[in-house]
Amino acid sequence: MARYQLAEHPHCEVEVLTAGLACCTLEVEAAVTAGLLIPAQLGNQASTPPSVLVISGTVTDALLPSVLDVIDRYPDAQLMSFGACATSGGPYWDSPPVTKGIDQFSDVAVYVAGCPPRPEAFVAALLSLAQAGISS
Amino acid sequence: MIHSFIALLPDKCTSCMLCVRECPAWCIHLDSHTEEVTEPGARRPKKINVLDSFDIDYSLCMYCGICVDVCPFDALEWDQHRALISDSRVDLTLGITQLTSEKDSAN
Repeated sequence: MARYQLAEHPHCEVEVLTAGLACCTLEVEAAVTAGLLIPAQLGNQASTPPSVLVISGTVTDALLPSVLDVIDRYPDAQLMSFGACATSGGPYWDSPPVTKGIDQFSDVAVYVAGCPPRPEAFVAALLSLAQAGISS
Repeated sequence: MIHSFIALLPDKCTSCMLCVRECPAWCIHLDSHTEEVTEPGARRPKKINVLDSFDIDYSLCMYCGICVDVCPFDALEWDQHRALISDSRVDLTLGITQLTSEKDSAN
């Protein structure tokens, strides 16, 4: 679990579930390396709840309770389904132990297509959530 | 070349189904029907496949490009990078219009 701030929109903070779900998680790291995301300051961590929760990678039925636990822990956070696996099961959609989309269990605010999506797509999705939050 | 968007050239597509069958994620859906056309001077009518629908489900697509490689008529091609994000999973399935118009808008 790690928290990041959007380089251009510091108010948009994102909590990333890095439970080693799958390779999509690495794209979040890539966004950090590219300077698109800044790791949140330690002081902020306890004070504000995360605005966005990113589910990245393959969710299996065995892992699902842990993932849902995290989702339940932050009821106000918007859910991002990052990559094909989290969205629909991706290349493993015909595999029995794989959950075919996290949206079966929780409302997803934004889907990001790709296998994996590029870091730019990740930031674009965060921006779309941030802009939706400003307009509402 | 960034593997980011697969565009369709519907005029080149013969509905041969090769891309549909070779796709590892089975994310392409194609529908077609057969029509008889009579060409002047031909001895008998010719049967051609007419493309009815062509959908790529980008919520499944792995961007592996096997469909692009396997297409014998180059009806599929890599296109400009764009971030495909949506607030609805259904909207990530793009049909003929979107697969072609998205391409035009990027050029």
